[in-house]
Amino acid sequence: MKSTSELTDFYYKELYPSLTELEESRKRIISQLKWYGGMGGVVFAIVALWMGKNFGLFHPLMIAVVIGFILLASLTYRFMTTGYAKDFKAKIITPMIGAIDPHLLYNPDFMVSQHLFERSDLFKHSIDRYSGNDYVKGSIDGVPLEFSDVHAEYQTRDSKGRTQWHTLFRGLFLVAEFNKHFKAKTIILPDLAEKTFGNLIGGWLQSMNISRGNVIQLDDPLFEKHFVVYGSDPIEARYILSHSMMKRIVEFQKKISHPLFISFVHNHIHVGIATGKDLFEPAVLTSLLDYKQAMEYVSTLQNTIGLVEELKLNEKLWSKT
Amino acid sequence: MQIFLIILGVVALIAILMYNSLIGKKNQVENIFAGVDAVLKKRYDLIPNLVASVSQYMEHEKGTLEKVTEYRAQAMKPGISDDQKIALDAKLTSALGAINIAMEAYPDLKANENVMHLQRSLNEIEEQISAARRAYNQAVTDLNNAIEMFPTNIVAGWMNLQRRAVFEITTTERQNVDVNALFNR
Repeated sequence: MKSTSELTDFYYKELYPSLTELEESRKRIISQLKWYGGMGGVVFAIVALWMGKNFGLFHPLMIAVVIGFILLASLTYRFMTTGYAKDFKAKIITPMIGAIDPHLLYNPDFMVSQHLFERSDLFKHSIDRYSGNDYVKGSIDGVPLEFSDVHAEYQTRDSKGRTQWHTLFRGLFLVAEFNKHFKAKTIILPDLAEKTFGNLIGGWLQSMNISRGNVIQLDDPLFEKHFVVYGSDPIEARYILSHSMMKRIVEFQKKISHPLFISFVHNHIHVGIATGKDLFEPAVLTSLLDYKQAMEYVSTLQNTIGLVEELKLNEKLWSKT
Repeated sequence: MQIFLIILGVVALIAILMYNSLIGKKNQVENIFAGVDAVLKKRYDLIPNLVASVSQYMEHEKGTLEKVTEYRAQAMKPGISDDQKIALDAKLTSALGAINIAMEAYPDLKANENVMHLQRSLNEIEEQISAARRAYNQAVTDLNNAIEMFPTNIVAGWMNLQRRAVFEITTTERQNVDVNALFNR
């Protein structure tokens, strides 16, 4: 496992030829986009003028035209940037993951299976649409793991029969083998109730959550402040969540600043980091040579893969082999 | 008259709810203690093995090893109370801890595959015991709170419920390891 500075070095030194190549195509895309944008603007102005003359500026058809232009613009944008995104993943992300650990495989179009996502039991709602990308699988320090971007949604119908899509979870989802044996389920969720309603009422609300089973009150006040734990076996939950483990999870939470969901099911740890966006997607408008941008890619990878060390999943102290 | 009956009904309902929650808490304590007992027993099962394999090496720790055997025999006796079990567990943990530290001084022991395996198993069981203790302490704290807090304390008084003892961290666990003493053995 390489340090952040080593990875940043790798990014700027080893990947420099690819970066400059990508930078050129990025500039080309931007100038093309500007050209298309200008053309589109002119065409739009002409159409609008013509429409205004014949139908009046606030005619319903005008709205259709505006929507049509927006659609056309977004389609053009997507069409022009997909190649760039693909190149970026092949030429930058793939070698970076290889540099972190040669035992890791990367597939930009694949994702963690829906079965594993549902097995984690982190989200009770049924899933109607499941997608994802940027799948990484392999082992770090002998600990098998896999992770990817995941977007899970469900749909509802309002009174008029229109369907609406709601995001259940969007972000990074990781599954790794855990170093202790256990049979029961232990689920750690962000503590929203206690944060909003305070200790007493929040605690009562948590215990009322019937679908979740028993709340397990743990003896680390800082951990309790950030998370709520549900589990079927109070002894096993504490076996997994030792004092040092709770401390490490709190440390990790401080580092990532996105809602953190963790569950221990079937001898595996499942971690969901609700970033709310797609990771490893290059922004056409910012340069890849930009330090801040580069650091984001590096630190996201570093934090995710570093979770194995962070939570000391690689410590095989116990009889599990 | 009707108002009086309604008030009486509400009071009775509250009393029943409090009674049931106290019983629930008491049973939770007993349930978790059974879990504690199970892991403690696992450790008792390993102790004779450990004592047999290390006693030939550890001449200076004969006393500690004998103590461990004795505590185990006491804890295995039928009919001892939960509080006694808790007290014996604390003694046993500290004695085993002392053996663990002493083992560092014997390279022969560290080379012994069998002993190392035993030690790993004991470490794992120690971790499980620690988890069980924490679970038990939480359940006991819940029960003790209910016994002492108003208004459940009134119902608890009628039910004649007693406060329970929690597992305390043994002094050796709290102390830092004295490295100097290790070298001056």
